[in-house]
Amino acid sequence: MKQSIERHAQFYFSLPRLVAKICGGDPRRAEINTLEAWAGSLIFYLISYVFFAAQFIPTGLPRWQTALLLVAVAFFVWLFWLLLLYINSLIIKMLQLCGLFRTIPIRRAQSILLGISMTAMACALLMRGSWMRGVGLFWLLAVAANLACALVLTLSNEE
Amino acid sequence: MPRDSSTSLGITTISRNWRRRFAVRGVFWRECLDWAIINLPFHFYPVLLIFWTFFFFFFAAPARRAIVANLAIILPGSTRAMNHLRAFRTLSNFAWTISEAAIYKLNREEFAYQITGAQWLDQLAAAQGAIVLTAHMGNYDLGAALFAQKCNREIRMVRAPEPDRQTAEHLSSSLEQTGEGAVKVDYNTAGALLSFDLLNAIRRGEIVSIQGDRTEGNVGQIDGELFGTRVRLPNGPFVLALAARVPIYPLFIARSGCRSYEIIVREPIAVVRSGRAREDDIAEAVAKWCAVLEELLAERWDQWFAFTPLFLSDETKH
Repeated sequence: MKQSIERHAQFYFSLPRLVAKICGGDPRRAEINTLEAWAGSLIFYLISYVFFAAQFIPTGLPRWQTALLLVAVAFFVWLFWLLLLYINSLIIKMLQLCGLFRTIPIRRAQSILLGISMTAMACALLMRGSWMRGVGLFWLLAVAANLACALVLTLSNEE
Repeated sequence: MPRDSSTSLGITTISRNWRRRFAVRGVFWRECLDWAIINLPFHFYPVLLIFWTFFFFFFAAPARRAIVANLAIILPGSTRAMNHLRAFRTLSNFAWTISEAAIYKLNREEFAYQITGAQWLDQLAAAQGAIVLTAHMGNYDLGAALFAQKCNREIRMVRAPEPDRQTAEHLSSSLEQTGEGAVKVDYNTAGALLSFDLLNAIRRGEIVSIQGDRTEGNVGQIDGELFGTRVRLPNGPFVLALAARVPIYPLFIARSGCRSYEIIVREPIAVVRSGRAREDDIAEAVAKWCAVLEELLAERWDQWFAFTPLFLSDETKH
């Protein structure tokens, strides 16, 4: 015999939430979607990875050195994120002392600060040209679409 | 001179405490996890957890070796290299599992669950005293809290002692916080005193949850057989069931997706006096438990978090 407890709200990001609302689903924010978690995580990681790889790996190195540096950058980016998350947490504490970000959970305030950092990296990639411009542009379009959807959801009292 | 020796003793103690704190099973990593759960957006977990899994895959070598050794028995014929990859998968599942238990404790996020064997869970919820026999599988900590919340019952969990005192304190307070006071934790170190305490609790109608897949320390043991190999399992749950005349409910909480679990309840095992020797009655119940455990481990080997070699042939190999 099987019993199950189902959830209704499905998405975290504003774009899929607005799509869910249009399709008659539940547009409330939920932190449960595996696909969103992996997509968000990989996009955040890959953009920062491309940014740092472009900054620190000089062109014209022998292939084996480039491969070694690419692996090293992967771990460096992980450490960078740990450090950035810690610094952000201090910034959030300071902002909360000033009366800001008091009504939202810390992890959402982090999301905003991380979004700002990522957007700065994406802008730097835009300046680089070639395929990196595409990566930066993808991020900026995704952010713009999400902000627009968040605005629509706010105006329709879903936030 | 005495001052010198007391200073060096102090330095040794500080260095030992420091090492314990940062050891693989030290409290530092649990505190880091709590910090991360409060501070990290959920879409940051996957990649970060992969890196942490890499970290512990290399630094928690005894646990990794134990998983590989156990898998060699569960999945005969598999190569050692493949079992290392499976060990990585198991550690990754463990990372997700403890993260989600912390999410439930700290953020009170909602979790979806599906129950297999709902008729036995209902029976358990209505039971006047029962033993829940579980394994180091899936999210047993979260499972206790979900059960207490769903059935509005108090539950007493018996756990193997943690090697580090601070980690044990952190885990106990986490479990009690997760269960909102409905989950009480006991460590099976108190010997006979704990047994009497548990027996009284069952006779008062309480539910006692015990992990029955591995033994640690000087707890009473009994031989069983899993995958054709001899194992040593704790005999406490079976002796307790016989003395209190209550059934044993095999119950497991397996992770089935992001913040989604399956509560698996199997048919209760009755430990009854048949007029034969007491050992025979217990051995019969142990054999039934082994059959249930074997079926679950074959299906969900990637969620079995018994990080010590269980099979006796492995012990002799090491």
